[in-house]
Order: sequence, then structure tokens, then C-alpha cells
Amino acid sequence: MFTKIVRAGQVVFLRIEDLLNKIFSSEQNILYYHGAMPNFFMWILFLSGLLLFAYYMPTLEGAYQSVEYITQKIPFGDMIRGIHRYAADAMLITVILHAVRVYFTDRYREYRIIAWYSGIALVFMMTFIGISGYILVWDERSYQIVTMTRDFLAAFPIWGDSWAHAFINDEAISNYTMAMSFFIHTGTSFALLVMLWIHYMRISRPVVNVTWALGCLLGGLVLLVSGIYPATSGPEAVLIQTPTYFDMDWFYLWIFPVMKSIGYGWTWIALTVATLFVIFLPNFVDSRDDEPASVDKDKCVGCKLCSVDCPYEAIYMAPRTDGSKFKEIAVVIDARCAECGLCVGACNFDAIELPAHISHDYMKDIRVNLEAAA
Amino acid sequence: MSDKKKVVVIACERSVNLDKELEGSHGANLKGVDNAYVVQVPCSGIIQPRMIESAFDDGADGVIAMGCQIGDCHFREGNKFCRERILGLRPPVIKKTVPKNRLEGLWMSEPQVETFKDRVRDFQDRVASELEKEGASAS
Ligand code: SF4
Ligand code: SF4
Repeated sequence: MFTKIVRAGQVVFLRIEDLLNKIFSSEQNILYYHGAMPNFFMWILFLSGLLLFAYYMPTLEGAYQSVEYITQKIPFGDMIRGIHRYAADAMLITVILHAVRVYFTDRYREYRIIAWYSGIALVFMMTFIGISGYILVWDERSYQIVTMTRDFLAAFPIWGDSWAHAFINDEAISNYTMAMSFFIHTGTSFALLVMLWIHYMRISRPVVNVTWALGCLLGGLVLLVSGIYPATSGPEAVLIQTPTYFDMDWFYLWIFPVMKSIGYGWTWIALTVATLFVIFLPNFVDSRDDEPASVDKDKCVGCKLCSVDCPYEAIYMAPRTDGSKFKEIAVVIDARCAECGLCVGACNFDAIELPAHISHDYMKDIRVNLEAAA
Repeated sequence: MSDKKKVVVIACERSVNLDKELEGSHGANLKGVDNAYVVQVPCSGIIQPRMIESAFDDGADGVIAMGCQIGDCHFREGNKFCRERILGLRPPVIKKTVPKNRLEGLWMSEPQVETFKDRVRDFQDRVASELEKEGASAS
């Protein structure tokens, strides 16, 4: 069943791709930059965040006012705030597109499993950053986010209370809570870079940049949305008043309506089940038999071409110890090999082959057919 | 016997879906196109210049290397590398003796079966006129 759904999804993607290729040409097809787009928005977020950082005050008394000051008094402050808010949404939207596409095109498991796991971690980190970002504004919504998050954490068995305490960072909501939220927001952002590095591991030459034209288009879109729907704060949070304002951001704050409707305990259960489901998704599909590329040591001349071309960093060059006149030999790391055959195409010496797809067999097939036709 | 030129298509099995399009005693004849033989490989990136050379040596009039649309490759860069090799931009390069005018790269996706067949027919016509030209300049 799974295989059928995946197949259908893949065909849908291919058709959309065709259409986009016709409109934009394959060089500017956004689907071919599904991984680079979140990256693009991430750098916009870092940059706009840096500018906001200069005027922001992470205290209960100062936070709201400083955000208002940025929005109203600083030249282009409202624009930068809007960009920061909507680029975050755009980043998550493109991450979802990226995840759905790699899933349906079957590019997420086996030799790509590290990218799948680190991708899940990245989504969690983004959500932490997003939620903590909404706390920093310190309007009534922020207040509700803090109390609900505290109670949500406290609802976890055994460690829950200490997590809640660590999050509030004090006995009650205080300036230390703001400091903690600010730390979660910026600290996780930098940790995101480390996780991203892991995400790119075993991918030679990852596509991390969109084209100039696409960059202008995507940047323009964010600017346009922030012009039409400026990012604003609700009423300032006052600790002794019950907050009511809660403007929804469905990309980052969806968990709060969930908590409200099913309760903290069930939210924990649902979240755990959903996360486990995604983690084990690759295991629902059978993997093939492994027959990684193998090097013929008598033919390899150590020219490095295969190790340069391997798209999954599965080949390294090792010094030769067998008294050959060549200095190096190509070595395949079996577990990383995707059995793609790009190394075969790169080798001019007939020295590397996929055991299940011998190039000489293909040549023989061709010959047999041509002879039969003659 | 059709007088269509003999064309070998070395095709990535993930590009145009040919599951129902092949027939003949060796299961390599493209349905509806005379004298077109398809050999499927895991990725167009596996196509070594040697394979193309040997196809010509074995009597092919034209050779098509086919992969997925440029920008999309299951193995990330296979079709890009294959294309660069056909254009002579990436080692290993194709021997000078290979008639480049009768070698083509096609980059198409799974659903484009009919377009693919049209392109093969067009290619056969081009190969015919190339061969005529070569014949004229040789004599
Ligand atoms: S088949 Fe070759 S190029 Fe492809 S992943 Fe394995 S070693 Fe690398
Ligand atoms: S391309 Fe071939 S000869 Fe060169 S290092 Fe790789 S296996 Fe050896």
C-alpha cells in the first residue's frame, strides 16, 4: 500500500515539475531548489534577526516597548520585523515541501538516512526557535505561550517539573524567563547551523543556494506579504491580568490550540506517536540487497575521478601498499554507497563496477541487439 | 525491413517509463519505432564514454543517452555529469572518432513516453541526414 501511495505522489511531483520546467526553465525551477530555499530564508532570518537584536531588550518591562520602538521609530524597522516574521513561515513551508518531495521521490532512506534523522531534529529546532520568538514580543499571546508551555512541560511524568522550572528559569515568570526565551531563540539558531552541517554530511556538493532570480522572487514575496499584513503585537502582557489576545501562526504555534482542545497529557502522547512514526517511516519500506561498487585493484590507476564524482562521499583514496606503481587506490565505503554507478561513468580504466549492473553486460546487450538487427 | 536508421538508446530506468514499451526477442525494441533499441541502466551517470563508443563500433547509426530532466536526478548529479561528458566538458571525454553529430542526450521524466518516441523518430531523421552529409563529404 505504502509503495502505491509513494508511486502516485511521485508521478504528481513529476507532472508539476514538467509544468514548472516549461514556465521557468529547469534552471529556475523552484522544485529543483527545494533544499536550497529553506537555506535562503534561514540567512534572511539571521540577517534580519541581527538587526532586531541591536534594539531588542529581553526584560519584562523593556521587551514590549523595545519591539514597538523598533516597529515605529527605527527606519525600516517595521519592514525588518515583518521580514523576520514571514521569512520564518516561508522557511517552514519550504522545509515541508522539501520533506514531502524527498519522501515521495524516495530520496530519504538508506544512504540518506542521516539526512532524514537530522531533518527531523531540524524541524524540532525550528519550532523551538519559532515559539520562543513569539515569547520575545511579550504581548498577551506571549504570556499565554509561556504559561501553557510551562504547564505542558510540567505535565510530563517524572522530569516534567524540572523542565518547567528550567523553562521559567525562576520561581515565577520574571526577567529570567525572558532571558531564557532569548537564549532558546538565539542559541538554538546557532545550534541549527551545526545540525545543518550534519544534514549535509555525505552529500558531495550540496545545492545550498538558489539562483539570483529565484532569490529576488522569494525575497520579494516575503516583502510583499509583510507589506500587506504588517507584523504587529497584541496588547502588552500584564502579569496580573488574564490574557485573551492570541493571533494564530499556524506554522509555529499550532501546538497551542492542540493543547487547548485535547489537554497536555494527550498532546504529549500524540506528539510522541507522531514523532516515532516519522522516525520509523524509512523502515516501512523494504531496502534492497546491498551490492556496493567494487574496485578492481589491478586496473585502478588512482586517478581520483570516481572519488570526485561520487555524489554521496562514498569513495576515498587510500595509499597503496601492494607495491603497485600507482600511489593511490580508490576505496568504497560500502555503507554509504547508493549503487548509483556514477563512479562507473567516471572511471576511464574500467576499474570500478556495480556487481549487479556490470557495464560490459550492457555493452553486450547493445551488441546482441544490433547484430540481430543487421 | 524498415530503412529507419539504427538507434541505440542507453536509458536511465528512472526517466521515461518504458515498462510497457519494450518488445522483441531481446526485449529491447521500442514499440512503434522501428530500429530503436533500448538498454536500461540504473542512472544515466553510469554511462561511460566506452559504452557509447562500443555502440557505434557495433554498428549503431546513432546513440541517445537518456536521463531525467536536468536538475532532477535520483542520484543527485548523474544526468548532469552525463550531459557534461556528452558536451566534452567533463572527464573522461568521448573519443574523437565518435561521430558527435549522431550522439544525443535526452533529459526527460517518467510520464513523457510519447514525447520520447517523437524525439527518437526525429533523431533517426537527423541521423539519416547526417550520414548523407558524411557520405557526401567523404566522396
Ligand atoms: S555507486 Fe559509486 S558513485 Fe554511486 S554512491 Fe556508490 S561509490 Fe559512490
Ligand atoms: S576512476 Fe577508476 S582508475 Fe580512477 S581512481 Fe577511480 S577506480 Fe581508480
